[in-house]
Amino acid sequence: MGKSSKKNKVILAPPLPPDVDDEDILVSDEDVDFVEENREHVHLITGLNRKALDKVVTRVPDHDEDKVELLYEERERKRRAALALKPKDDDDLEVDPVDALPVKTLQGELLYRTAKRARSEDKAKGAESRSDDKDADAKQSSQKECKGRSNKKEDSKLQNVQRPLEVPKEKLHSVVLEEVKEELSADELFEKKKAQLAELGMAMLEDPESNIRSLNDLLIICNDTDQRVVKLAIMSLLAVFRDIIPSYRIRQLTEKELAVEVSKEVKKTRYYEYTLIRSYKAYLQKLISLEKQPYFYLVAVRCLCSLLDAAPHFNHRESLLASVVKNLSSSNDVARKLCSEAIRSLFRNEGKHRGEATVEAVRLVSASVKLNDCQLHPDVVEVCLSLKFDEDLGKDESKEEKLKPKKNKRYQNRDVTKPSEKKKIKKELLSKARQEVHADLRAVSFTLDPKEKKMIQRETLAALFETYFRILKHSMNTSNSRYKATSVFPGGSHPLLAPCLEGLGKFSHLIDLDFMSELIACLKKLSGYTDHQGEIPPDNTLSVSERLQCCIVAFKVWRSNLEALNVDLQDFFVQFYNLILEYRPDRDHGEVLADALKTLLWEGKQQDMLRAAAFIKRLATFALSFGSTEAIAALITLRHLLQKNTKCRNMLENDAGGGSLSSLVAKYDPEAKDPYLSGALATVLWELSLLQKHHDETVSGMASNILSMANLNATQNPVQLSSSNPLEAYKDLSMGRELSKPTHKVSQTLKCKRKRRSKEFVALSTDVLEKADCTVGEDELREKLQSHFAVLRGISENERLRTELNHALSSINMYKEYKKQKKFLCKIQLLHP
Amino acid sequence: PSPTFTAAPPQPPAPKPAAASIMRPLDEKETTMVFEKLFKFTGPNLKHLLERPSVEGPDPEPGRYCLRLHKNRVFYASESLVRRATAVSRTRLAGVGTPIGKFTHGGAFHLTVHALDLLAAHARRRIWLKPDTERSFLFGNSVPKSALARITENTKSGDGVVVMSMADVPLGFGVAARGAQDCRKADTNAVVVLHQSDAGEYLRKEEELM
Repeated sequence: MGKSSKKNKVILAPPLPPDVDDEDILVSDEDVDFVEENREHVHLITGLNRKALDKVVTRVPDHDEDKVELLYEERERKRRAALALKPKDDDDLEVDPVDALPVKTLQGELLYRTAKRARSEDKAKGAESRSDDKDADAKQSSQKECKGRSNKKEDSKLQNVQRPLEVPKEKLHSVVLEEVKEELSADELFEKKKAQLAELGMAMLEDPESNIRSLNDLLIICNDTDQRVVKLAIMSLLAVFRDIIPSYRIRQLTEKELAVEVSKEVKKTRYYEYTLIRSYKAYLQKLISLEKQPYFYLVAVRCLCSLLDAAPHFNHRESLLASVVKNLSSSNDVARKLCSEAIRSLFRNEGKHRGEATVEAVRLVSASVKLNDCQLHPDVVEVCLSLKFDEDLGKDESKEEKLKPKKNKRYQNRDVTKPSEKKKIKKELLSKARQEVHADLRAVSFTLDPKEKKMIQRETLAALFETYFRILKHSMNTSNSRYKATSVFPGGSHPLLAPCLEGLGKFSHLIDLDFMSELIACLKKLSGYTDHQGEIPPDNTLSVSERLQCCIVAFKVWRSNLEALNVDLQDFFVQFYNLILEYRPDRDHGEVLADALKTLLWEGKQQDMLRAAAFIKRLATFALSFGSTEAIAALITLRHLLQKNTKCRNMLENDAGGGSLSSLVAKYDPEAKDPYLSGALATVLWELSLLQKHHDETVSGMASNILSMANLNATQNPVQLSSSNPLEAYKDLSMGRELSKPTHKVSQTLKCKRKRRSKEFVALSTDVLEKADCTVGEDELREKLQSHFAVLRGISENERLRTELNHALSSINMYKEYKKQKKFLCKIQLLHP
Repeated sequence: PSPTFTAAPPQPPAPKPAAASIMRPLDEKETTMVFEKLFKFTGPNLKHLLERPSVEGPDPEPGRYCLRLHKNRVFYASESLVRRATAVSRTRLAGVGTPIGKFTHGGAFHLTVHALDLLAAHARRRIWLKPDTERSFLFGNSVPKSALARITENTKSGDGVVVMSMADVPLGFGVAARGAQDCRKADTNAVVVLHQSDAGEYLRKEEELM
């Protein structure tokens, strides 16, 4: 309205108040009284000419009466048209125009507040989305949030428009609102927030390009005071990001690019990307800060991990990776597992990020190991086991390079033979075009050039081995200085050593030969080998399993690298020979031992006779003293050794002495430190005949199989019972044991009893056994226990007394010594006064 | 009360020709020389070599082994044998126990092939020869890389090594010219072990040895 009048540069007076009939006016008594009292002044009011007054009020200065009249008419017409256009809704209760000021929208429309209608709409929406939210939240994923979001889009569009409307209203009804808020319990508020989150999330998923701004709103909700709301908010943001993150990395625009005018669509995309990156960054920062609070810790870690899983190629990968790697050594089992899974999947799916993230992750692991002085959880290094390298990585590229110039020469020769200029030019053009196309293709596609891939793998490998060598070095230093760290992590003072050794074994074929000697020396030291066998071995903090693993790794490293040169790792054999004695079934891992048997003895090409004999004897003793699983592994190795070293079959004869073969040692020394000096050839494998009566069929079968070798020629070999190696046999048997355990339902002690008694006991069914178990009276049991503990107490008492006695004796001895010395001194003083 | 080599009683320096004729324990200087040579082969096993219970001699408790010098030769014999040998007149005594080496005129100590069995049992580094190259070594030649079948890891140049056949029969001994690591890179004709002594000497130098 005002616009049209402004165009004519005429300022019209505001419209007159509407006419009111005389009957509609209510006159109060007071007014009547007042008029009655002042009758003489009334004539002033009665004398008022309304028309004349109106004219004066609505007059426009310096203008024609007619023109003004025309304008008025126009205004009136417009007003009527507007009224006609307005839908005549019953709900649309317009607020009295006098009561509140109208608001002009961006579209230029005048809006009056429609308080009642808006309120009712809100209610309906709340109910609807609440029901949606319940199942959506239950599954913690917003992918289900697809239904009932048709009106959300418009809502969010209108939000900007409506917000200013609500401001004045809130001001007006602030008091009321406050009351309402108090009335709303915390739960309802929570529900409301949840609904809001769901709305925003669904809107985002439906059309991320146009709703990109609501990311900000979601981020704002993340700062809520209610912790539950924050949790929900970060979860829903995670879902949104997982869905909308593009499959490419968004790079910073250069200034040049910014300067260039671009089309609307490009602008829109740029804005979209910019907002996405910014809010992603904010989200990450939020997550990293939340991670420090114990309440949010798990949720934050989970979000970080699944983000890393979903978008390893995207911007801000560095901070994401850093925090995930940091959490690899967290004390929380769940978080650690999540992180290690995330990193493993990162390593496995290198196609997602072209291997760059792998290098970064391995470097981060290396840095964290360095920073924490190797006192971390084993998981940190264990994840590296799932790294993959190409087989031909270790080989040099020199071959390829040598081939290349030859080819070029050939091409050159061809060109010389065909000197037509046109063809040449054509060819050049063609090749140029091809190159360009290739370059474009490479830029677009995610696959890497083989050379680049090699580069990346090489860097990864370097970082990996740096970590491994650091760990080795660290464990060497500490074991030398006898420094025992009180570690919170499992695995004693070297928590990282076991996974490190495992990794070295796995990637042994990729180790550079130049490191080899140092590595082997290091492993030898770690395995507890000392040059001076007579001395007391140093206080080695490594467990037997770890030392066994050192031996295994050394063998693997040599085997995979020096196929051509046959090297005899004598020192490791010696060490292994001694470690067999130190093995304890419950403390150490049987599997490691079986693996060691396999790698050192079973797979070894040749053994010398003396050493083989020593090992045969020791393994037989070993098989006799431990469980059937260990025994079978040892026996299989033993048989293999006997097959290879036919001279050692003399030990199967029932004639001790060994004759000329026993070399310089005439008597077997079961505790010898050196297999060469044990004199094993001078002894007999009597253990095997005992093992033939072993309760386990596989073990007894194997023992008799070995014994049958004695009757065969040197060239003949007995029938193979099974071709499996010690490790497999060990696993098979232990598996079989596990499986058979629940079916027996016989207690451990009864099992032992059964073994000790004769066969008839075995023939009894399990039911009978159980009955027999029940018949043992409680009193009897108590008596037995009492006597048992009495014996135990007696033993401990005895020990205590013994130590006291020793103490007293030593003090007496010392006193004697003291006296002697005193006498001696006296004598000297007498001699030399 | 055993007169061991380590605590050899200080003897007055006797004139050389006299010292050559009588059997006596080694003096400090000689002991060091012999031990240094042996240590090259046995390493810390030297202790076992000297402390092992002896199996020679008729005594119920033959005691340990000791080293004796007789006619410039060093003998490795059990104490009971040595005691009995004192009954034989000095000039007529040819030897006692196992000879392991001799002092040359220049005063240096050389291990002889007799020590082979002793060394083979206690050596730390060995190499194994390919079957068709054993003959060349037994003729007194050094071991080229092409003859090498197997070598003990961490062999370093200068270490003493025992040369074995693939059937684990000791053939002789020598000094490693290059370590196990360098062998990998070396030329096929490069010498790996420098010849010192081999079992072929029993035929070639029969008079010298007796």
